[in-house]
Amino acid sequence: MIELHGLTKRFGSFTAVDGLSLRIETGEFFGLLGPNGAGKTTTISMLSTVLLPSSGEIRIDGKLLDRKAAAEKRKLSVITQEYSMRQDMTMDEVMEYQGRLYFIPRKTIRERSEALLEFAGLREYRARTVRHLSGGMKRKLMICRALLIEPEILLLDEPTAGMDALSRRQMWNLLRRVNGREMTILLTTHYMEEAQALCDRVALVNQGRLQKLDSPAALIAELGAFAVDENGVTGVNTRFFHDRADAIAYLGEAGSQASLRATTLEDVFVDCAGRKLSP
Amino acid sequence: MGIITVLWEKWVEFRRDFFKITVAAMISPLMYLIVFGMGIQTTSHGEPYLHFLIPGIVAMATMTGSFSAIAQSMSVQRLYEKALDQVMVSPTPLWQFILGQVIGGSLRGMYAGGVILLLTLPIRSGLTFNAVSLLVMFLNGTVFATAALVLSFLAKSYADAPRFNSYIIMPMSFLCNTFFSTDQMPGGLRQFVALLPLSQASAMIRAIANGEKAGAAGFAVLGAYLLILGLLAVWFIYRKKNL
Repeated sequence: MIELHGLTKRFGSFTAVDGLSLRIETGEFFGLLGPNGAGKTTTISMLSTVLLPSSGEIRIDGKLLDRKAAAEKRKLSVITQEYSMRQDMTMDEVMEYQGRLYFIPRKTIRERSEALLEFAGLREYRARTVRHLSGGMKRKLMICRALLIEPEILLLDEPTAGMDALSRRQMWNLLRRVNGREMTILLTTHYMEEAQALCDRVALVNQGRLQKLDSPAALIAELGAFAVDENGVTGVNTRFFHDRADAIAYLGEAGSQASLRATTLEDVFVDCAGRKLSP
Repeated sequence: MGIITVLWEKWVEFRRDFFKITVAAMISPLMYLIVFGMGIQTTSHGEPYLHFLIPGIVAMATMTGSFSAIAQSMSVQRLYEKALDQVMVSPTPLWQFILGQVIGGSLRGMYAGGVILLLTLPIRSGLTFNAVSLLVMFLNGTVFATAALVLSFLAKSYADAPRFNSYIIMPMSFLCNTFFSTDQMPGGLRQFVALLPLSQASAMIRAIANGEKAGAAGFAVLGAYLLILGLLAVWFIYRKKNL
């Protein structure tokens, strides 16, 4: 279980995360969503202790997480947005370094590396240095590295950023599978369909503050499960309806420039962020 | 255990870049030896100048080897590769990470100094290098590896690493008892330079080379630098808000 209590991070006069309080249950797939600059990556950086909070605290299974908390850190694995790896190491060396940092016996490191690199389709490239891998391969290697330690909690910061549609779907399947092993997953993403497909609950944050917190289905229901898009001179305006009959009636009045569809988490996000879709 | 992990990482780095590291360790000291020691034939205190120069060059090579092994690598890992994040989130105690870096950096410095000793062997200078010399080289390396760690935690950009070299390592190389004795410097500056770690290391290695004893004061000064810089490095890695 992860608990954030009034977590705040300031950089000079700029507040990146502002009193964020959350409780993520064991085995939960939790999404932290927000526009660019909402404080998602800063939150992950505080969870990985690279940044220390200006105020507030993080608890893992009730124990305070700080840079000295070895037992709590042992449970955590992070996949950062950037390729945070030694560029001059080979894949095998990256995996061995990770295993050694977590005090895993070398035999176990070798066995797990073998299985993970095979699973990710990277085995034949294992002698290549990170510098010579494609972006997608680096991303897969980061996932293998994170899973090598068999963490209880997996922190994912925009894990599918820059991936093509097929690779993204493969990643979703992989994440579903690891979540099925009672692994707690905290995912930050700006792909709303990703959060909707994967997360049990999501928190919408904006300017470092928590805006909404619930399951994707509940957030959609709160806004209205039916959306009517109207093409106007100022762009696309969307109206939401709780009742399908009301949406159809409105569609009839709006004419041929309007269309009916199911509300998505992206609608909730856009509504929450106070933005309008524009052409 | 964490120390072994860091030493393993340093070994991987050394094994991969063995030729580059070896050549880099040799070039500048070799040039100084050729130009000042052999090209310009002179004497110092009635002895060939080369006898004065070799211990200074060994101390200097130890300093530059240790410093560059850590400053460059840590700055890149922290600011460019973000590979330090992997260490920060891991359960490896961060003091062990620091200690591993310091020992690993110092061993690289000793390697650089050892290369110079090997290169000067054919000169048959008659200078003595023994286990105490190696101890001084190791201590000198730990001081500069720790300094490099502290500076790499302070670095704001990747370009800062070469700047540290220009601001700290280069002036020390020339002023600190490497090419000429600090005794010849004007008062004030002499005392200041004499207290710098490279001056102490050079003086001790030179004393041993000439069959004398390395003064305990030198060990005390290097130990004090190591303690202060070590505490700073540990403070940074545990307490710095934004690493």
